[in-house]
Amino acid sequence: MNTQNRQFQLPAELEAQTIIERISAQLPLGKRIEERDLLTYYDSFDWRLFGSGMELIVRRQGRKRTLQLRSQNDGGLIESLTAGTRMPVFCRDLPAGGGMRRALDGVLQMRALMPQVELRSRITTLPVLDDEEKTVARIAFERHAAREPGKGKFRDVPGRLLLLPIRGYEESFERLIGILLEAYALPPGNEGLLAAALAAIGRIAGGYSSKLDFSFQPEQPAASVAREIQLQLLATLELNLDGTKANLDSEFLHDLRVAVRRARSALTQIKGVFPATDVERFKPELAWIGQITGESRDMDVYLLDYDRYRTSLPQRLRPDLDPLHDFLQAHQKSAYRKMVRQLNSERFRRLLADWRDYLQSTSTGSDDAPAALASIAQVANKRIYRIYKRVLAEGSLINADSPAEALHELRKNCKKLRYLIEFFQSLYPKSDVQPMIRAMKQLLDNLGLFQDLEVQAEKLRHFAHQMVAEGEVPVDTLLAMGMLVDGLLRRQAEVRLDFGSSFAEFSGSENRKAFKALFAGKTEAA
Amino acid sequence: MKIIGVYNIKGGVGKTAAAVNLAHLAARAGRRTLIWDLDPQAAATFYFRVKPRIKGGSRKLLRGQRDLDRLIKGTDYANLDLLPADFSYRNMDLQLSAAKRPGLQLQRLLRQLSAEFDYLFLDCPPSISLLSENVFRAADALLIPTIPTTLSVRTYEQLQRFIQDNGIDGVKRLPFFSMVDRRKRMHLDILETMPKKFPELLATEIPYAAEIEQMGIYRQPLFGYVASGSGAASAYRALWQEVRRVI
Ligand SMILES: Nc1ncnc2c1ncn2[C@@H]1O[C@H](COP(=O)(O)OP(=O)(O)OP(=O)(O)O)[C@@H](O)[C@H]1O
Ligand SMILES: [Mg+2]
Repeated sequence: MNTQNRQFQLPAELEAQTIIERISAQLPLGKRIEERDLLTYYDSFDWRLFGSGMELIVRRQGRKRTLQLRSQNDGGLIESLTAGTRMPVFCRDLPAGGGMRRALDGVLQMRALMPQVELRSRITTLPVLDDEEKTVARIAFERHAAREPGKGKFRDVPGRLLLLPIRGYEESFERLIGILLEAYALPPGNEGLLAAALAAIGRIAGGYSSKLDFSFQPEQPAASVAREIQLQLLATLELNLDGTKANLDSEFLHDLRVAVRRARSALTQIKGVFPATDVERFKPELAWIGQITGESRDMDVYLLDYDRYRTSLPQRLRPDLDPLHDFLQAHQKSAYRKMVRQLNSERFRRLLADWRDYLQSTSTGSDDAPAALASIAQVANKRIYRIYKRVLAEGSLINADSPAEALHELRKNCKKLRYLIEFFQSLYPKSDVQPMIRAMKQLLDNLGLFQDLEVQAEKLRHFAHQMVAEGEVPVDTLLAMGMLVDGLLRRQAEVRLDFGSSFAEFSGSENRKAFKALFAGKTEAA
Repeated sequence: MKIIGVYNIKGGVGKTAAAVNLAHLAARAGRRTLIWDLDPQAAATFYFRVKPRIKGGSRKLLRGQRDLDRLIKGTDYANLDLLPADFSYRNMDLQLSAAKRPGLQLQRLLRQLSAEFDYLFLDCPPSISLLSENVFRAADALLIPTIPTTLSVRTYEQLQRFIQDNGIDGVKRLPFFSMVDRRKRMHLDILETMPKKFPELLATEIPYAAEIEQMGIYRQPLFGYVASGSGAASAYRALWQEVRRVI
């Protein structure tokens, strides 16, 4: 039975003192308390805490930091923690077994906590008293200012007046609300403080997501749609560039690479919308970005999986693996150094600039780009259906004796299909597309895992050779790695057994009918 | 929810002072805390400036006709709520004995609060009664303020026997010295001898201090008006640390 706070906007020109005098004529008010506060909101680059309804507030107290995890809805405290002088960045930096780590682990995963906005507040609170001088409600006047964490000028955040109830004194609270609203027609305020603080510095919570979110109209010319897709992917790449170079967490590079892969797929799979010469010009350049970032990503993946590798070994052998961790860390560092040099190169800078110029230039339609002016619905239907049929054909040829390459090849086409459907989702009814994406995702997960396990096993063997070449490596470490390779290949064999059922579901008659109806219906009629 | 009964057969030994100050400390550490003033004299209720009245009195409350939830009052302190005393509590024994399982009524009643609070402090009236038996059976721990006198030791033994005789084994006894005056010969003697006899005795002692007496003047918990370095404040902090550790 907890009555909620009531929040109102407090116009800058309305003095707290004026309101206090007005109310105290009708209700006894106690001694005012003045508080100052300075805090920073933390979240991951892609707002994972915010996305799951939480806010992390960090205050400095001398050399220590206090962390408070609050619920967005009611501001209720979920967990709190006093950290040492270093701000925890990853989940693994939080005390093991502690509540904060438990609360953040699944949400934050591999992402780093980053300061998002700094908030400075002046809060004046007055108690409303009864005849025993007991507090029966409170009034709080809040003035806030926000800035980019640690830099720049503070900018005003709209002020707020809060009425805070006290349990068991609901009547007094209602009375207070009545008195306030009778005197001032204050507009209600229901914006959260985080949202208001971000707005003051021109940002929004949840401002970045790696998910594709396009909205196209079926009649739009295909070339303009393709440009829009590419521009969005380019923006995603650019947004992740600083975090990648600084290696804030592994997800920046991951998102960057996914954006590049999607861009390459869009460039070659949305056929006929750009002149072939232009496609030929940018295709190898985008592939080059994939190459220069590949090794860093590999190292990230092994480091992310390291704990799982380690725990897959018998307890007693786990320490044997530790030299591999050192090896991975050292190689990750040098891979990143090499990559960052390339990302800072003239070639890379010029590539992004040229690509952007090209996408923003207005030229449309040319003999060389026959589909440029066709409707996107037509192009999308045709491409999706063609790739879909190719996947079906390739998949149905696969049997227990097929070489691994056949599955890898199928995965490539499946991925193309998935990207295409994701780009053009908005052209189709959600209820039709979602089940297809789900069936496809299951097949892709199976194929992906099959290939990843093989690559990982192969790579681990390669690492073993490299470690030997680089100097002393304990035999026990090599043996432990051998066990890992064995485990990976065994799992790969198991995963292969699941292929049949994943593919059967994907190629089932239900799904076939659905694909046909959605993507082939119109083109065939036309 | 941990339930802590603050209890002694004897009156005026510092039960209410301990209940109020420890509850306040728990709340200040962010724990959701409730204190139930079970004493019709309503001293704890008075300290928190709350009116000593609950709708329907103890009769309706014990019969489960009133949600405890709706009777709770927020204090002036964050995370700290109070279930006020009511004059009708003086008849609680009668009302309890009318029920089917008279010794377990409180335990049953308190279940509804268990998700809402981390700590519940029961500020008990003196004397030994059906109500106190209910407290013994409901509580995880009994905090027993004990003035270091020969008589106090006797009453503590009485309590021990009562608990044993009635087969109440789910409750931890936590006696501690209260209102200690180290200028008094007898206090010193008992401080020396009692720990050997009763290993469960807590190490912290609460000194006799004028500051504590002033709770009634300020109508606030101790920490509302004393400097945080004061001896009395430090003693309650140490006591809370110790209690928290053992329960
Ligand atoms: N450590 C102390 N030093 C000085 N005075 C104290 C101390 N503890 C309590 N007092 C005072 O002694 C009186 C009795 O204390 P308190 O009310 O806490 O005891 P109680 O055991 O709850 O009493 P009752 O049995 O009447 O409920 C009160 O006036 C209180 O302010
Ligand atoms: Mg008392």
